Amino acid sequence: MQEFFDIAKTDFMDTFGGAWLFPLLAVAALWILWQEKDPTRKLLLGALPLIFLLLYWCPLTGILFMKILGENVYWRILWLLLPAATIPYGGCLLLKKLTGLRRYGAFLLCLAGIVLCGKNLLSEEWFEPSTNVYKIPQYVVEVGELLPDHVHAMVSNRVMPYIRMYNPTITLAFGRNALIWNGMEAPVYHDHMLYLEAQKEEIDLDVLIPLAEEMEIEFFVFSNNRTYLGEWEAYGYKLYGSTNDFNIYARADWSGKEPTERWKE
Amino acid sequence: MRLEILMTAVIFFGGSCLTGYALRRLLHFKQEGFLFSIVAGVMCWWALMELVLVPMTMAMASFSGFVAVYTALVLACAAAGCFCWKEILADAKQAAGSVRSCVTPGHVAALGLILWQLYFIHHHMYLEWDDAYYVNLANEAVRSDLIYWVYPETGAITDFDKRYVLSLWPIFYAWLSKLTGVMPTIMAHTVFPWLMIPLAGMVYELIGRRLFPKDRQLQGMFLAMAVLLHLFMSGEHIAGITFLTLTPWVGKGVLAAILIPMLFYWILRTAEAEGRGLWIMLGITCLGGCLLSSMGIMLTPVFVGVTVCLQNIRKRSLRYLLSGAAACFPCVVLGIYYICLTH
Repeated sequence: MQEFFDIAKTDFMDTFGGAWLFPLLAVAALWILWQEKDPTRKLLLGALPLIFLLLYWCPLTGILFMKILGENVYWRILWLLLPAATIPYGGCLLLKKLTGLRRYGAFLLCLAGIVLCGKNLLSEEWFEPSTNVYKIPQYVVEVGELLPDHVHAMVSNRVMPYIRMYNPTITLAFGRNALIWNGMEAPVYHDHMLYLEAQKEEIDLDVLIPLAEEMEIEFFVFSNNRTYLGEWEAYGYKLYGSTNDFNIYARADWSGKEPTERWKE
Repeated sequence: MRLEILMTAVIFFGGSCLTGYALRRLLHFKQEGFLFSIVAGVMCWWALMELVLVPMTMAMASFSGFVAVYTALVLACAAAGCFCWKEILADAKQAAGSVRSCVTPGHVAALGLILWQLYFIHHHMYLEWDDAYYVNLANEAVRSDLIYWVYPETGAITDFDKRYVLSLWPIFYAWLSKLTGVMPTIMAHTVFPWLMIPLAGMVYELIGRRLFPKDRQLQGMFLAMAVLLHLFMSGEHIAGITFLTLTPWVGKGVLAAILIPMLFYWILRTAEAEGRGLWIMLGITCLGGCLLSSMGIMLTPVFVGVTVCLQNIRKRSLRYLLSGAAACFPCVVLGIYYICLTH
């Protein structure tokens, strides 16, 4: 039971934390219950958010929803609260009582209330200026411009989530699921060993290259602050290109062979 | 890019509007206006896509095959809407005649806020970690001509994650990409905000009209507050309607910010006056919700079930209860299929 309340509390705070919109929602719902005459609206706009809150916090229904939806996504019940219908309706019930300039004045106060209780989303805390039409980091676009089509690559974790959004013909040796191997102490499988070697500040090419060749990796994209034990040229690789942040290495004999559908293999 | 945005918006809003008129004729909705037609048409497109996409994915059909079938169906719906020219003309006349009364300070404020939201989002980017999966799912469909059978994050292995197979929302923007020639990444990140944010505004305008049918001024004020709430939420990524501003291309966001409010609209209408057409539209919207996210398969029947039961305390009508259950039927079927797939 305590575990349920811990999860419910954490998820609730994660959803409504950092702003005062939940109190505003609760006040609006209670205001609607008090002021609204129409029973349909009273139920749908006043009672409904409170019922979903009850379903969320009640251990019986909460645990049931956790079983149905999954423990990690149970908090999504809170999406059903509809604050963007309840709060404006509560405000409009107040405005309904007023006319003329008083109504406009109260309307501005309502808007100010929302601004004061909420947190501005259109800020650079969340967004950064976009520098390209793909809306991915510019350093990824710079790498993507250099990498040829249809290559199989191992790329830095900074580039990995975005590079295929720039050029989906590039296939990757590792996706985000490889991140769980970080910190693994005694890797057994070769792909684990390869990934972990590539995360080191100083990469031992003697370890990296044979493992990479097993996985038919043709291109490497590593941060240019990495150092290497050994010379790439000695292993049959060359510096293919560089950006401000990354170095790209490719097999010296790579000639842009016919594209393959790697997943078919 | 302006041309691509304009072209996609014309296809999306124009096509869905015509589809909405066809639906209105079929379900006997009169004098509902353009906004209703657009929103109803979009719900119909999404439901139709779910009906076509799930069997085609399971049958390992090609993406180009899906594009051909779905485009033909959408074109048929839009063509059917062209026969409703009398209703379209009537709505156009009514809209032209009431422009002055329609423009209230609240509406001006809402429009200004939406434009500011669009301008800001257009010039900024929000880096969504999950795009590595979802946006690449669309990219991979266009590239490999397969729906969902290649692991989108690497493109290097075959993969079939049963958790998402019933809710392949990214295929919707892959489809639009195929029609317009815009890459899915650009479609999602740059074009989609111009479709989803106005669509959300339309849904709240419809709710406002239903709540204050005789007071245009209050409709505008309701809309302005609703739009403002999308800009000043808790600032947490997961807080439902926050998605619309941060990631309007993500299916879960569309579910939370557009589809669930749309369900609310239908519930509001069925609570006020029952009609077969309204229940059918509720069912269509529920099915559309299944496309957006696997969470839609679960949350839409929860929302409809609770609201219908709540209303039934007052109505005490078995027919009302059964109609609500019937509207949830598509979600229940898909929910059972989901459980069979994942267990």
